[in-house]
Amino acid sequence: MKDLAVRLAALDAEAGAALQVIAYFDSLVEARAGLQSIVRGAAVLSGCPARLEDDVRRLRIRVDPAGVSSLSPEPADPAWLRMPILADGTAALWLERPGPPGPVEAMILERATGAARGVLDRTRGRARAPDPASVELVLDGAADPELRRTAARGLGLPADRPVHAIALAGGAATVAAADAPVPAGRAGIGPPGSVLELPASWTAARTALRFTAEGTEEDPGPTVVHFAQLGALALLAELPAEPIPDVRALEHAGSGAPWLLSTLDAVADGVSLRAAATALRVHHSTLQDRIVHAEHLLGWNVREPQGRLRLQLALALRRLHRHR
Amino acid sequence: MTTTLPPAGSAAPPVPFDPELGAALTAINEMLPPAFTADQIPLLRSGGPLMVITDEELQRDGKFTVAERTVPGLDGDPDISLLICTPTTVTGTLGCVYHTHGGGMIVGDNRMGVAEMLDWAEEFGLVVVSVEYRLAPETPHPGPVNDCYAGLVWTAEHADELGFDAGRLIVAGGSAGGGLAAALALMARDRGGPELTGQMLIYPMLDDRNDSASGLQMAGRGTWDRTANDTGWTALLGDARGGPDVSPYAAPARASDLSNLPPAFIDVGSAETFRDEDVAYANRIWLAGGQAELHVWPGCFHGFDSMAPQARLSQEAKSARVRWLHRLLDA
Repeated sequence: MKDLAVRLAALDAEAGAALQVIAYFDSLVEARAGLQSIVRGAAVLSGCPARLEDDVRRLRIRVDPAGVSSLSPEPADPAWLRMPILADGTAALWLERPGPPGPVEAMILERATGAARGVLDRTRGRARAPDPASVELVLDGAADPELRRTAARGLGLPADRPVHAIALAGGAATVAAADAPVPAGRAGIGPPGSVLELPASWTAARTALRFTAEGTEEDPGPTVVHFAQLGALALLAELPAEPIPDVRALEHAGSGAPWLLSTLDAVADGVSLRAAATALRVHHSTLQDRIVHAEHLLGWNVREPQGRLRLQLALALRRLHRHR
Repeated sequence: MTTTLPPAGSAAPPVPFDPELGAALTAINEMLPPAFTADQIPLLRSGGPLMVITDEELQRDGKFTVAERTVPGLDGDPDISLLICTPTTVTGTLGCVYHTHGGGMIVGDNRMGVAEMLDWAEEFGLVVVSVEYRLAPETPHPGPVNDCYAGLVWTAEHADELGFDAGRLIVAGGSAGGGLAAALALMARDRGGPELTGQMLIYPMLDDRNDSASGLQMAGRGTWDRTANDTGWTALLGDARGGPDVSPYAAPARASDLSNLPPAFIDVGSAETFRDEDVAYANRIWLAGGQAELHVWPGCFHGFDSMAPQARLSQEAKSARVRWLHRLLDA
């Protein structure tokens, strides 16, 4: 409580200003003000230029502290105060000065992005869906680089931040800024890089997709896999498609008991048996029983380090083979 | 004694404020409430929203020389002070803007509102003359407008000394100052001089009757609502306010003849007390075959551009005034 009191006292000098900031943006939201007004409010209240960029709508707004709109040819400086507007990272607001933000600036960023979020959520539906031909072009390593850059711009990909390719179930592909949240459903995420590196990212994304699972009892495992996090595991994907004894053992064990595969996946994945039990929502002793049963069917001990690694590899290989 | 106003119960709903300006009002109303009464005049005069403007600010890094001249009042009235700002960096023939400040007839000084005049002065090459007129209620009508007229006559007569072409003289003012500027145009016409090139009436205060629909619907909102308006007019006119014998030089809306006036620029917000009387004044100028340009700014409260200068509509309103001045003053 004392800490809180000290912190509040420190803010007190600016508490009035912070409240005024809140009231100002609340009023703008209530009056359904547009993005220009919101960005102008941020600039005027902070005393420095403010800019908003929306990659999907290819929208650029910049206002100076006198309230005058003036776009700048210079891209946003990474040292500036920045706050994303949307969870997918495709729209953000900057105050054009280096951090760290003071309490009033932090309040301005928070309230302005909140207000902008409302506007974008309301109006974003009008944005075009990504053009499949453009996606195909940016993923084609043999295509002319300039054409690929142009197509990337047309897709709204940022030119100054990393991008990656995403492989989706059924062979679909998409591309996005690397800091955007991942789509729902099974997805393999290629490593981040420049626009011209997207073809390589796409190849890697397809590999990563093979390591994903539906996340069901029948097909337990991660629904999203980042190639960059696979490490040496990715090499498994290069193995020829021969049946592997451990995988067959898993299949055989799983056919007998519906809970077995998801149990083994939790054991392979969990930081401890207790954590695995929590993830499975079973009692610790129930889990013990299940493990004993599984080990009997598999033929190796999954609780020891080597046995656990063997289990993890077998599960990964099983996923690879299901999603050729 | 104040006359009672008709009740506001049956008024139309208020005009919504522009989003940016509405948001700014929250902070503005903390310092300047929409309504106030005569007993609050001293409080209003003591400062707060009315900041002191220094000579240094007026000089703008040497772009202007700033001087004060004392000139005789009208017909034995006390001497009045004129603030005179002359551009130093402009070549060619200078014009002159004679400025009457605002403040509801009860507050303010001749430095209020001069910043925008200086902006015009830089753009068009103008000498800015701003008159310090006596305020009500200490000085009732006709004192204040007579002070303004005396200063205008002196200014026109001393055009050579002040360095401007007497054929390029405009009057300008905001709010009460807009009403005074309109009154000066009427007096100049009626008294045969001086010759005015134009009258810039910025959300002018024109009608002591204070019974408009716009005043009723905006009661208690924005800045300078009908109660504040009643306070100002009553300070100027006393019991005569709203009655049959009010001079058009006090309340230009009372003028029966608006013909043969210099071209007028009138602007006003759609969400303020003065909307109806300002629109009506422009319309009557046209009906008399005269020239007027009217701008009604959507969702704007009284004084919006000076209190929230960065808002988009504030910028647009100021630009519109400059564009009219270009058409008026460019050869």
